Amino acid sequence: MSNVISVGMADLKTTKAPNILMTAGLGSCIGICIHDPVQKVGGMAHIMLPTAGNGPVGNPAKYADTAMDLLVAEIISLGALKSRLRAKMAGGAQMFSFPGKPQVLRIGDRNAEQVMLELKRLGIPLIVADVGGSFGRTIHFDVGTGELRVRTINHGEKVI
Amino acid sequence: MMEITQMQLDALRVIGNIGSGHAATALSTMLNRRIEMSIPEVRIIEFEKAPTVIGHLEVPQAVVYVKVEGEAPGKAVFFFPLESAEILVQVLFGTSDSFNLFENEMAQSALKEVGNILVSSFLIALTNFSGIPFQPSVPALAVDMVGAIFDAILLEDGILEDTVLFINTQLTGIPKIEGKFVFLPDEGSLRKLLGALGV
Repeated sequence: MSNVISVGMADLKTTKAPNILMTAGLGSCIGICIHDPVQKVGGMAHIMLPTAGNGPVGNPAKYADTAMDLLVAEIISLGALKSRLRAKMAGGAQMFSFPGKPQVLRIGDRNAEQVMLELKRLGIPLIVADVGGSFGRTIHFDVGTGELRVRTINHGEKVI
Repeated sequence: MMEITQMQLDALRVIGNIGSGHAATALSTMLNRRIEMSIPEVRIIEFEKAPTVIGHLEVPQAVVYVKVEGEAPGKAVFFFPLESAEILVQVLFGTSDSFNLFENEMAQSALKEVGNILVSSFLIALTNFSGIPFQPSVPALAVDMVGAIFDAILLEDGILEDTVLFINTQLTGIPKIEGKFVFLPDEGSLRKLLGALGV
């Protein structure tokens, strides 16, 4: 019997198969999912911004550059082998565009870029990503199989 | 986020009340329907608890977002459940035809215009009361999961305080129109606004 575990905004959770991790309503935020397919454990972080900058970090799950190490450490503590970890991600949309204004700060894109940088630094392959666009996403991640189900309101549903 | 005294909260509630009252009157006139607004709630909450204000994150809503620029910048946001947004469009166009709010550009423009008028009325009241001039941006509309829209609004400037001050008002129209208006002053603006009110 699998449980669906909900991951909130700026939240991070890990679990074992057959449980499912889900986060609802990703806009410019990113849901980053990492698992070990052999040990069948994994985790998800719902990050909101690329970097914590120089200020006090507070909640590390809020930022791509502080959430990933914590997520990986927690997955390893469930018995995962770092060399077997694989990642998927979804989100990073640009929900609004204001006519005539340059989009200097495309937070969605910057979030996705930062997650890719952190994965590279950690040596974890990014298997697939469903990012960008101008629509929200709700995701369900099966930590055993690594299946990532991406649901949208008006742009269909897919498993990646 | 700054500490806020009870007196300041009360002052913000008064501002919210006057502003929302103006907006409700404007909407009533536009629709020729009675629109009521609740006494605004002023809440400082952790952003993680936003769903308690805006509703379930995955449920789609039509959201009009207006950036408020000037001396005391902030964000003004209208949330309409899809059924209510469709009724608004039908009343405006004087038809009972159904509209696909995800795709129909005419319906989308109408909703933006509603947002524009509501926010402008709100801001005029705010200026009259505080003496601070406000300039609304061109309204933007998104019809999608409300959580996705709200996170994009919160994060637009690339920073996020741990707590967010909401001034939010529930709109109810007769028949069957519901919506929610949220004003999010930027942190510096809040000081400025409270300063102008002498609290």
